[in-house]
Amino acid sequence: MRGIGEIFKKEIARVVKDRKMLFSVFLLPALLMVGIMSLTSNLVSNMEEDIDSHVAVIYVSNMPESFQTLLDAGESAYDIRSMKEEEQIKEELKKGEADLWIEFPENLESQVENYREGDRIPQVKVYYNPSEDYSSAAYQEISGQVLEGYRQMLLQNRVGNLEQLTVFTVNSDNPEMVVQDDKKANGKALGMMLPYFITILLFAGAMGIGTDMIAGEKERGTMASLLVSPVKRSSIVLGKVFALMVISGISSLIYVVVMVASMPLMSKAMAGTESGMKMEITLEQGVMLAGILIALAFLYSTLIILFSVFAKSTKEASTYVMPAYLLVLVIGLMSMFTSKAPSSETYFIPLYNSAIVLKGILSDEVTWMQFASTLLSNLALGAVLTGVIVKAFERENVMAP
Amino acid sequence: MIEIKHLTKVYKLNKKQMQELHTKNNKKTAVDDLSLTARPGEIYGLLGPNGAGKTTTLRCIATIIKPTKGEIYVAGHEVQKESEQVRRKIGFLTSDIKLDPQFSTDYMFDFFGRLHEVPEQKLKERKEELFTYFGIKEFAHKQIKELSTGMKQKAAIAVSLVHNPDIVIFDEPTNGLDIITARSVMDYLRKLKAEGKLVIVSTHIMSEAEKLCDRIGMIIDGKKAAEGTVEELLALTHTDDLEDAFFEIYKEVKGEE
Repeated sequence: MRGIGEIFKKEIARVVKDRKMLFSVFLLPALLMVGIMSLTSNLVSNMEEDIDSHVAVIYVSNMPESFQTLLDAGESAYDIRSMKEEEQIKEELKKGEADLWIEFPENLESQVENYREGDRIPQVKVYYNPSEDYSSAAYQEISGQVLEGYRQMLLQNRVGNLEQLTVFTVNSDNPEMVVQDDKKANGKALGMMLPYFITILLFAGAMGIGTDMIAGEKERGTMASLLVSPVKRSSIVLGKVFALMVISGISSLIYVVVMVASMPLMSKAMAGTESGMKMEITLEQGVMLAGILIALAFLYSTLIILFSVFAKSTKEASTYVMPAYLLVLVIGLMSMFTSKAPSSETYFIPLYNSAIVLKGILSDEVTWMQFASTLLSNLALGAVLTGVIVKAFERENVMAP
Repeated sequence: MIEIKHLTKVYKLNKKQMQELHTKNNKKTAVDDLSLTARPGEIYGLLGPNGAGKTTTLRCIATIIKPTKGEIYVAGHEVQKESEQVRRKIGFLTSDIKLDPQFSTDYMFDFFGRLHEVPEQKLKERKEELFTYFGIKEFAHKQIKELSTGMKQKAAIAVSLVHNPDIVIFDEPTNGLDIITARSVMDYLRKLKAEGKLVIVSTHIMSEAEKLCDRIGMIIDGKKAAEGTVEELLALTHTDDLEDAFFEIYKEVKGEE
């Protein structure tokens, strides 16, 4: 037992004493994350602003006078060009030089005015290029707002009072229309992303140090000095596993805190989700979260160490660990995009169950039974892997080739 | 006491190693039915060319690798059955065992002291003694990666002796050291012997073996070709120095094949 503690302390000291290591393990990923998030959100909002400020280039054929008046009265400015050949306009649309072409039928105003039941309804054609941002934005605005307004205007001219035509409205005056459990809704937005990031960051945080702890020590020849000391192989393994657990746990905790703190940055980039980005965790949720994170940190640490034991160098070890990392990534993605309620057996599949349960904990939908089976199955697999590592430590062709 | 009884160590070769050695046999016998006994209060030297099986023998004694056949008793403990007991009794040093370059000698000394369960007060005394003897004090707090080869070797020797072991196993202890440091290491080994400890070293340097060792086991191709004091070996081969004696024995062994 004494050996476990000593080796644990040394592994922790190794990271803590090394400023470069401290920086690269704990700070750099967090900084990168915040940097990338604020960069994307800035780029997205810049792009939106740019589209908003762009003056749409529009061709209008057979423009009715009343439409011209409406455009002039409106707030948005448009660059209305004089008409050209049809082919030429289409070419400009394709190239993105023009944004929109509105083709009114000839004498729209008189057609509307003299309309009788049974006559053909006049059609306004709007041409645009959906692969150009400016063009599709102009299309949204013109067809959705300007032309709709124009239609209402002409309609009003014909029938006088529009209210006669309105049978009912939907939610025109109903501020309480959204009925949902806020806690659950908050959790849903969080629960979708956090488990994914937590599992990945936990693994990523453990990967560099874990491979160095075992394969690196073999490579440097320092492992042998431990092997000739009067410490059980199992104590060496456990000391290292626990140290890795703590280091990766702390690093993932830092990432999570940074992530939650930088939520406003993110939500700016992902418009529409900001309402769900409030972090409210009850004591019960906190206990469950901590439990799952500890079990996961343990399992990941044993996984990484297991792969590293069979490698001769850190480089080789990273190659071996990579497939496991990809697996963790895929499992994270799976949990992120599964909406079906998982069956109770699912909660016994290590790794996968933890992603589901994390999601469940955050949206307040998990039972203690599901939590317990997840916790135990992950811990059990970790224990089995630890056993395999100890066996590998006893094999001389693995440890002293 | 170290007793080696009919030690045989066979390595399995992988394909790459087989190619390198130009052999189709996937097994290589590194040590072949070797027996020897080394007693407390003597310096026993394993002398032989590179690849003779000296290091393999020492690694078997130190429980890093397991004998394929035969038994080794270290202070009465069998290396495979009671490997932890064996590791308590020995101080082992070889060039492929290194100290963690991130830490200082001071830290590593304390670390291994605690692994060996050396009491705090005793640890301080040992540190004072060993650091003074090997002149480590001036660089004790520097990271090991910043040290020169000689300093690293001194640090490694001091750390391997932290628990004041009864049996000291050094694989080519003066390798890479300048003559002054090499001399001080050899003097220290004599001091250990004077304290009644058993020292077993491997070397391919004849002059070192001649000056240092009480008894020498000549190892050729994994077998013990001859054993005895320097005088006995010289008398056996009718030669004047150990190098000539070694070549006589080497010719005899190789001539048989």
